[in-house]
Amino acid sequence: MKLEDIARELGLTELTPEVTGNRQAEIERGYASDLLSDVLAHAPEGSVLVTLQVHLNVIAVASHAELAAVIFAGDRRPDDDMRAKAIAEGISLLVSPADTFDIVGRLYAMGVKGNHA
Amino acid sequence: MNVCAADLHVHTALSPCADNGMTPPAIVQWALAEGLGMIAVCDHNSARNAAAVQDAAGTRLAVLAGMEITTVEECHVVALFPDAEAAQAASAEVGATLGQVDDGYKEFFGEQHVLAADGSERARETLALATATTLDVEAVVRLVHGHGGLAIAAHIDRRSFGVIGQLGLFPADAGFDAVELSRHVAPGSPDAAEFAVHSLPLVHSSDAHYLTDIGAVHTVVHCERPTFAELALALAGAHGRSVGDA
Repeated sequence: MKLEDIARELGLTELTPEVTGNRQAEIERGYASDLLSDVLAHAPEGSVLVTLQVHLNVIAVASHAELAAVIFAGDRRPDDDMRAKAIAEGISLLVSPADTFDIVGRLYAMGVKGNHA
Repeated sequence: MNVCAADLHVHTALSPCADNGMTPPAIVQWALAEGLGMIAVCDHNSARNAAAVQDAAGTRLAVLAGMEITTVEECHVVALFPDAEAAQAASAEVGATLGQVDDGYKEFFGEQHVLAADGSERARETLALATATTLDVEAVVRLVHGHGGLAIAAHIDRRSFGVIGQLGLFPADAGFDAVELSRHVAPGSPDAAEFAVHSLPLVHSSDAHYLTDIGAVHTVVHCERPTFAELALALAGAHGRSVGDA
């Protein structure tokens, strides 16, 4: 499933339209966590992260773990600093008013799986 | 230069998770018996019992007024202040972001005892101290510095409520004055040395919730007198003051 298709299907708001390279990226895996040490240790490469966490370190961790995109749940919005860092790192940021459980459920139904599926 | 043994993270019975035996006179008695020259009272998101412990100590023991603030990311930050007034002013700002306790909260977390210097109860705190504030790590450090205080990243070796556990990497730009290791890391051990990479001074504190925890580990402060100002110099490594492991 391409990132742009996920964004359209889930009605996500794109916060980093400047990051164009990722739209065609095939997203096969996902991860959901608010603990960034856990994301660093377990999120699969090239995956999409669903999180409530909007601390700037999300970008550092996403870059380290080589994630393709981050979806912020519950309409939580990162600040401009974080957006600028994400653009510099080529990581797409998206936001949804839905909560983590619903976002993950819909991703799963679209064929995006976790580490062990 | 003198040597002072300091336990810079001690809870009182105001913290709902702390033992009800953590009263001002009992804390002072245990700290003195452990040979400590300085302690810091750091209850969750409140400094309301700090002055009572200072009064109970008199001139026998240096007691710093502090707080353990929970950031919105659920990181714990130990905040130490120059005096009880500054701590109280910071405490009021922190408290303004907290909700009120209800019956379910009390059942789960426990009671929050506001105590007098003799250990008698003055009131019950109604702010939900065990919950997170709405302030992020950077905002908490700014708030603490704004009241002339020192901000220490609490128990960074722990998986829960430490900044590294919550945020994955140490937030080097947040402006912390020191990092704290818990009693689960042996002073001077290779594990302790691992946390020295952040080029910040290390303090070792008990995070005591029970009397018997007080002084379980401590920080050695090389200073002229056991005061907040001298501790600030020691953390900065200024004027010959310094901190080291026990």
